[in-house]
Amino acid sequence: MALAPIPYHQVRDDLWRPLAGASKRYTLTLALLSAVALWGLIAWGYQIHVGIGVAGIRRPVFWGFYLVDFVFWIGISHAGTLISAILRLTDADWRKPVTRAAEAITVFALMIGGMFPLIHLGRVWVFYWLFPYPNSRLLWPNFRSPLMWDVTAISTYLTGSMIFLYLPLIPDVAQLAERTTGWRLRLYKLLSLGWSGSDREWHALERAMRLMAGIILAVAVSVHSIVAWDFAMAIAPLWHSTIFAPYFVVGAIFSGLAGLIVALNIIRRTMHLEAYLTPHHFKNLAKLLLLMSLLWLYFTFAEHLTVWYGNEPKEMNIFGARMRGRFSPEFWVMVFVNFVVPFVLLGIRRLRSITTATIASVGVLIGMWLERYLIIVPTLSMPRLPAAWGRYSPSWVEISITVATFAAMAMLYLIFAKLFPIVSVWEFEPHAQEEE
Amino acid sequence: MSLYLTGVFSYKDAAIQAVKDLKAAGYGPEDVIVFSDEPVEFPRGVLDRPSHMSLAAVSGAITFLVLCVSFVYFTQYNYRLATGGMPIFSFWPTSVIFYEMTMLGAILSTFGWFIWESGLLRRDKSVPVPAIEPEVICLRVRYSPEQYETAATILEKAGAYSVARLEKAA
Repeated sequence: MALAPIPYHQVRDDLWRPLAGASKRYTLTLALLSAVALWGLIAWGYQIHVGIGVAGIRRPVFWGFYLVDFVFWIGISHAGTLISAILRLTDADWRKPVTRAAEAITVFALMIGGMFPLIHLGRVWVFYWLFPYPNSRLLWPNFRSPLMWDVTAISTYLTGSMIFLYLPLIPDVAQLAERTTGWRLRLYKLLSLGWSGSDREWHALERAMRLMAGIILAVAVSVHSIVAWDFAMAIAPLWHSTIFAPYFVVGAIFSGLAGLIVALNIIRRTMHLEAYLTPHHFKNLAKLLLLMSLLWLYFTFAEHLTVWYGNEPKEMNIFGARMRGRFSPEFWVMVFVNFVVPFVLLGIRRLRSITTATIASVGVLIGMWLERYLIIVPTLSMPRLPAAWGRYSPSWVEISITVATFAAMAMLYLIFAKLFPIVSVWEFEPHAQEEE
Repeated sequence: MSLYLTGVFSYKDAAIQAVKDLKAAGYGPEDVIVFSDEPVEFPRGVLDRPSHMSLAAVSGAITFLVLCVSFVYFTQYNYRLATGGMPIFSFWPTSVIFYEMTMLGAILSTFGWFIWESGLLRRDKSVPVPAIEPEVICLRVRYSPEQYETAATILEKAGAYSVARLEKAA
């Protein structure tokens, strides 16, 4: 049932209200998250001081939690920019309250994901060797290396995502600058670049957003394809697959959507934005999540079917370990939370609600993290030579850093939501409210 | 000497009519600027703002592509690795980097062109900017001293509920 439209002044008040002051609960949550994030930094500092040996990565598993986290967070980053760009390009009207929250996820997830190659380097102080400049022997970086692909792809994606987040923020910060004082006024004035609301500015903004949506879509797809190729370029069992790039892209959008639904529900409840993030938005996102779940199942099935039919011994070792061996608990939990739970909770119309969408999304986040783990660890622990097989168990350092990144993500998001309206005010056209 | 006046409208149709009448009276697109808190879409032909942003994006993309290909090509040949007969410069593995740098060129030039085209960082500070209220459309018209009556009448006739001279903010 439709209720009366929300007047524009109320839209402003509602969306700007969360920016004012900080409640005790907010401060406490922020302090807790900062403490966990700090613990992760301490763990990293310990690793830098003592050496990469404090991590659980050993021969033959040289890529452990750090690479799992890297792929996972790059996947989450697809929540924002890609989804927002698709919805912008298709003129989906319901996207308006969703896009900024989504775009912010992208920027923070990329920042966090981009740190993992540095953490994994061990000797992080020589990270600048990745920059394209000649060393003392005039040897330039190897541009053919997939590691260089990652550097260029993530830098491009991060630059594009930050601009994509920033552009539609300009009119909002310009409006905020008129109503604030002190350091906030200085910050908003600086960011608004002197925006006055002229038609020339609006035209340029709309054109830039349309162009950026198209460009960023192409970049987002390439970024996760490149992450997939980090694996697929190696002639390792179950990695050397032609469908790895699209499989990873689908998985990234899937996990990104799940991350977005969880974030939106938290924002909705904590900032009291029930009138703006309505059940309609969650239902649409839930349908998209269900679609991605089916696509994910299709790709997973296609990947495993060809392996099973090929019956190549080296691949079947890993296949067996996943299906019924030591990795089977993780595998079947992954299938359960990535497919069964969303299919039941979101596929049955009567069960589809904000709560079930959030439950399914939390499950998908767990499932997609497990998927990355199952791609990386089994293949490395069972290389072609059986004599080289080994096991991997993460150390406290890796676990601490992994947990800390989730806290850091929440912390950055909380800070962002306190500085900027999490729902774009100028894009929000007053509309009929929906009854829950 | 240029002076400015504003007409404030509650309805888009009235603002469109005012722009059409001003154009008929000889005011150019540079003389009439629309200010609003949210984007106002005018029909094609009313107040078009030609843009070269797409061209800028493509040019930026091509420039970055050429620079990147040259950079990779020359740096690979600068130090000839023993590749066992394989090419020193190889297209396939470097194409990913070319693609990303091409996109980076498009992104940066789009952003740069947005800053240029919107006039954000090159505004003439002597031109006054009206304060805009939510949900209204404000037309700023540049006129010469003898044209005030004509411009004000057009705005009022079209339906502006407020017409005033615009002074430069102190």
